Formats: sequence, structure tokens, C-alpha cells
Amino acid sequence: MAPGSMAGSGPLLRLGPVLVFLVLLAAMVAYGIGVARLRARGDHWPWSRSAAAAIGFGCLVAVLVLDPVLDLVPLLVPVHPVDVMALPAHAVRHLLLAMTAPLALAISAPITLALRTFAGRPRRTLLTVLHSRLARALTTAPVVLVLDVGVMYALYLTPLYSATHRHPYLSALVHVHFFLAGCLFSWYLVAVDPMPGRASTRTRMLVLFLAAGSHDLLAKLMYAHLLPQHGGSPGQIRLGAQIMFYGGDVIEIALAVAVLSGWYARTGRQLSRARRRQSETGTGTGPGSAEVSDETPGTGTSARSTSRPG
Amino acid sequence: MVHADPNRQPEAMTARSLTAGVLIGIGVAAFLDETVFHQLLHWHHFYDRSTPTAGLVSDGFFHAGGWLCIVGGLFLFADLQRRGSTATGRVWAGGLIGWGGFQLYDGLIQHKIFRLHQIRYHVDLLPYDLTWNILAGLGLLAGLMLLLRSARARSNRPQPTR
Repeated sequence: MAPGSMAGSGPLLRLGPVLVFLVLLAAMVAYGIGVARLRARGDHWPWSRSAAAAIGFGCLVAVLVLDPVLDLVPLLVPVHPVDVMALPAHAVRHLLLAMTAPLALAISAPITLALRTFAGRPRRTLLTVLHSRLARALTTAPVVLVLDVGVMYALYLTPLYSATHRHPYLSALVHVHFFLAGCLFSWYLVAVDPMPGRASTRTRMLVLFLAAGSHDLLAKLMYAHLLPQHGGSPGQIRLGAQIMFYGGDVIEIALAVAVLSGWYARTGRQLSRARRRQSETGTGTGPGSAEVSDETPGTGTSARSTSRPG
Repeated sequence: MVHADPNRQPEAMTARSLTAGVLIGIGVAAFLDETVFHQLLHWHHFYDRSTPTAGLVSDGFFHAGGWLCIVGGLFLFADLQRRGSTATGRVWAGGLIGWGGFQLYDGLIQHKIFRLHQIRYHVDLLPYDLTWNILAGLGLLAGLMLLLRSARARSNRPQPTR
């Protein structure tokens, strides 16, 4: 099927990718300006966060140009044309849009950057939004899971996927949803940016386990029952399901590393503080000085909140 | 807990050594299963037509869980090393228990009861099944014996003076 047929159904749809690209460009420039301002006043901003931002934006740009490039390739080199509407291309798009880009953007900590560069009213507005009841409700485990994985089940196992082929606006809506839900999921897990009522490391690992298991199960169900309908030939659906399965594994491992390196860094800081205290007091054999309460992966937030001054 | 004295290992760290071992063991078993039997030998199948949904559910969660176990286990191990309180015997015991336990679950429950897939196709399965499960059982047994031995060694050791 020619994907060009979708572009003909309205000026907004034809302009859509250009508008999205402009928004991305603006966000990229804003991030760069923020980092430059921090640097100018002598603040430290880890290069790894800037690199993560570049990867995140790069993935999103790749999603925008993926379809046109796939259409162009057979014109330039003699290969079989790739059906951009079939499941393999959709799965690659989904891995970039809903998993890789959100993970990289969550690591890039844009909210932290904004809180450190904004002043006055914009900063207060951002804090109000962060502490709003809606933000609190969205960042609870069941909501995160249903929005991220639950909707995937609805898309692939029901006729919704076929409907997105007939209605381009619905298709655009589904893509926006997957990006935003992926962001919610990654922000909740990575937790570099401030978040009121952040879940403990153990809870976040459990949420990751449930999401990853459901993701793998869904890929197998699609492979077994040749779903979604209109996902292409049986061979295309099987290939798409395997891209989803193994590609998902890679991102899930990266997510686990991101969650646990936060825990590792935090306990490391506590450990070196305790060791410093021990060497200051000399012997360090007294029960109070030799031991600090150990932060197991389960008590991430409690230890965090007690260490906060005031 | 932070302890400068390496001879004094608190209970929390021995338990954490065992946990780290079990997680790494499960992770290694899942990793070997995925790379050697699925990807390299192509003995196992991604999906076997006779698999019921219960098998797919078990497979999905164990597959994802295996990866998370290896990442979690390695982070816990790194934390133990950083504190200088690794109980090596416990790590090995946990590793064998985790590997044997997972492979036994895979061989008995997933292959046989859930009929997820078989070890190999178009061959007489019995020798494969026996090798798979007996190896797993021996691993589990060795892990439990190692755990008992290190527990006994610990209780025989004179208590450190506080």
C-alpha cells in the first residue's frame, strides 16, 4: 500500500510531520540554551544528560523520516519495497517512539534543567504542575501500567489497529499516545527528575517486571494468533512480533540498569558519608557511629526523605 | 550497614549475598537458554503451535524476569564488593540454586506441563529431557549443600566480641 495515500487526506496531515519537526527543533534548542546558561554561571551539568537528550531527539527525528526513507530506498537501490504499513516497520517505529526516545529523554532530566534555569513565575507554574493532583494520580503504578501496556493490548488484539489504517487522525493520535505513555513510564522508572511521592526502587523494579513480562507475552500472542488484523502477511506479522520481543528486551535491560544505577549511586553516597563519619570519630566501634541504616532497594524514598534537611 | 571490619559480616549482608547469587543464577540460566538453545542451536522454537496461553504467560514473564534478575543480581554483587562484605560461599550457593531451580522449572513445568516448546524436535526426547532435568536437579542439590555447609561453618565460628 502506498503510504502517500494517507498524506492526501488533509492539509493538516501533510503539514503534521513538518510541525512536529519544528516543535522538536524548538525543544532541542531550548535544552541547549538551558545547558549553556548553567555552564555560563559555572554550574555543573553532566555531559551524559546532554548526550541522552541528543539520542532522544535523534530517535524522534528518525521516526519522522523513517517512512519517507523507506519509500525512497527502492527507488535508489534495487531492493524489495518495504511495506511501511505492515507490522515490521510499525514495530521499529514503536521501539523508537515509545521506548528508546522516552528512556533517553527521561535520563536527560529536562525538568531538573528547567527548574534550575527558570525563575519567577514560569518556575512556580512548573512546580504547581509537578505537585498537582493530576501529576500525582498519573505517576501511580497501576495508571502507568494501564496507560503504557494496557493500551498496547487494546491496539494489537482488537480491530483498533485496522481502524488506524483507515483513519489517519486516529493513527496520529495513537502515535502521540504511545510517545506520551512511554514518557510517563520512563520518567516513573528512571526517576532522575523530581517527582512528588516517588515510588521505592523495589516498587519500580516490580512495575518494570510486570510491564516487560506483559510486553513479551503480547509479542508472543501476536506471533501465535497472527494479530493485529491488517498487520500484513503471516511472515510480516511474525517478523514484527519478533522485532517487538527482542527489541523490547534491549530497552527493558537498559531501563533496569537506569533504575538500579540510581539506587547504586544513592547508596554509594550514603556509604562514603558513613565512612567519613567513622574516620572522623576515630574508632567507630560504637553502635551509633559504626552503622548507618542500610538502604535496601525497598526503602529508596524513606531514606531519601529522612536525609532531606528540615 | 557499613562495616570497616571485614571479619564481622552482619546477617543482612549474608542474606544479600545469597539473593545476589540466586538472581545471577536465574539470569545465567535464562541467558544460556535464550542464546545457546534458541539463537545458536535453534533447538528451541520461538513458538510451538501446541503451546497453550498459560504457557505463553509463564514464558513471557520468565523471559523478562531472567534479564531483570541478571541486572539486579550484578548490581547487588557490585554493592557487596564495594562494602567489602561479600559472603563468597553464599553467592555460589545462591547461583547454583538459582540456575538449577530455574532450569528444573523450565524443564518440568514449562516444557512438560505448559508444553511451551520441547528441547529439540524430530528426535527421541527422553535422553534430552533426562539430561536437562538431572543436570538441573544436581545443580540445585549442590547449591543447597553448599548453603548448609556455609551456614554450619558460620554457626561454628566463635562469635566476634562487640
